[in-house]
Amino acid sequence: MIGWLRHHKHAVLAALRRLGAQPVTTVLTALAMGVAISLPSGLYLGLGNLARVAGGLPAQPEISLFLDAGASAEQKQLIAARLRQPDIAQARYVPRDEALAALSAAQDLADITAGLPENPLPDAWVVRPRTASRDALVRLSDSLGKLPGVAETHLDSQWAERLQAALAIGRMGVWLLGTLFAIALIAISGNAIRAQVLARRDEILVSRLIGATDWHIRRPFLYLGALQGLLGGLAAGGVLAAAGAALHAPVERLASLYGSTFHLLPPSAAEIAVVLGLTTLFGWLGAWLSVTRTLLQVETAR
Amino acid sequence: MISFSQVTKRYPGGHEALSGVSLAIEKGELVFLTGHSGAGKSTLLKLIAAIERPTSGVVSVSGQNISRLSRRAVPYLRRNIGLVFQDHKLLFDRSVIDNVVLPLDIAGFDRREALKRARAVIDKVGLLNREKANPVSLSGGEQQRLCIARALVSRPALLLADEPTGNLDAGYAADIMTMFRDFHQVGTTLVIATHDDRAITALGGRILHLDHGRIGEASA
Repeated sequence: MIGWLRHHKHAVLAALRRLGAQPVTTVLTALAMGVAISLPSGLYLGLGNLARVAGGLPAQPEISLFLDAGASAEQKQLIAARLRQPDIAQARYVPRDEALAALSAAQDLADITAGLPENPLPDAWVVRPRTASRDALVRLSDSLGKLPGVAETHLDSQWAERLQAALAIGRMGVWLLGTLFAIALIAISGNAIRAQVLARRDEILVSRLIGATDWHIRRPFLYLGALQGLLGGLAAGGVLAAAGAALHAPVERLASLYGSTFHLLPPSAAEIAVVLGLTTLFGWLGAWLSVTRTLLQVETAR
Repeated sequence: MISFSQVTKRYPGGHEALSGVSLAIEKGELVFLTGHSGAGKSTLLKLIAAIERPTSGVVSVSGQNISRLSRRAVPYLRRNIGLVFQDHKLLFDRSVIDNVVLPLDIAGFDRREALKRARAVIDKVGLLNREKANPVSLSGGEQQRLCIARALVSRPALLLADEPTGNLDAGYAADIMTMFRDFHQVGTTLVIATHDDRAITALGGRILHLDHGRIGEASA
């Protein structure tokens, strides 16, 4: 156990020495990885922020239920009971006074609403169904419209569907780009490690002859790949931070033109940890593929 | 300790380096392998260290069948064997002492203990004043002694030496053979491939003569 830990300590130190011995190569490789990773992670961040813009609006299909002005308390209770059924994800009652207050506040219409002789708005329910399929929504909307005391239903799903579809494409794009660049990362790491392995051919051959296991030979290279991947992840963080700093002011300007206080949100600590973990993993993987392949080649070419 | 039973080794391309070799080497023996160059001496040593596998026949070392040894088991076999190479196989990117410490690092020794043992062995081969030097600055004889130090540092039960005095002048060669005799006296099994007759007469021991891959035994 102690010997095993000692081997790992040796391997980490050896890997750090090798990274430090070729600072230019190390930095260039980290930058290549960083640029590769920053594309999918940047897209991910952009989508996250976009979804946040859309999050203020109903991004899921909603059915608005407008009640008859003359609906009785009993009818209202029956409607409320119906909306507690399991096919409804969420239902929110909007009394007419609240709706008017919200309207005045949200759209700067206080002048107009103040001039109204009485509140023209009906009581309403905003219903978020569990289903998302268009047909089921239409059927649900129709059946709710037939409840006594309901004046009208309004299915507001079309633009929400479009937005969801667009976001889904974006998310798929993140996955596709992510997969592509993960492969690129493995290739970059594998190539860097291959050069290292070839440069240490003699050491590998001699070590094999005097009793080194494959793992003993691989270990420093695996740490090297993992560390290189981690540096790549940090470089990606740097690229994204720089991009975020550059975009900060223009985005706030655009948001202020729309009367919004929207600003770009940086990634969460968990997201950063995931990206760094993945780049480390892929760096390791590239090193493993490369060192295993090269080991076999070096030995057969003896 | 070592036994060959009807061992044949044919290299890709058809050259047959060993043909139907059978032999047995006991623990603690000192054995010289002689024969013209190309007779199969190096191949025989490589088979013992599992650097090559036999084409047919059985090679067994310390009770382990080399032909059946898995790739994962080979390193553990080699840790019990000291190898002295004709071309030394030293690493020129590190100092004398780091070359000697390498087998102990690989075996997972404590660094301080490893350095202590390495220094003792370097002292024994007479290179203590060069321990910080790069092997490239050593003479041929010194490089050979360094290679021997590396082979001995893990105190192997078996030492295989391929032409250890091959390109050394008589003085160095005698020194090295004296060292081998000392190891033999403390119980190490030695198999030495050489055509240095003076060394053989000086040390005594069994002689295995190889001729075109076939064995003929003669005792000195």
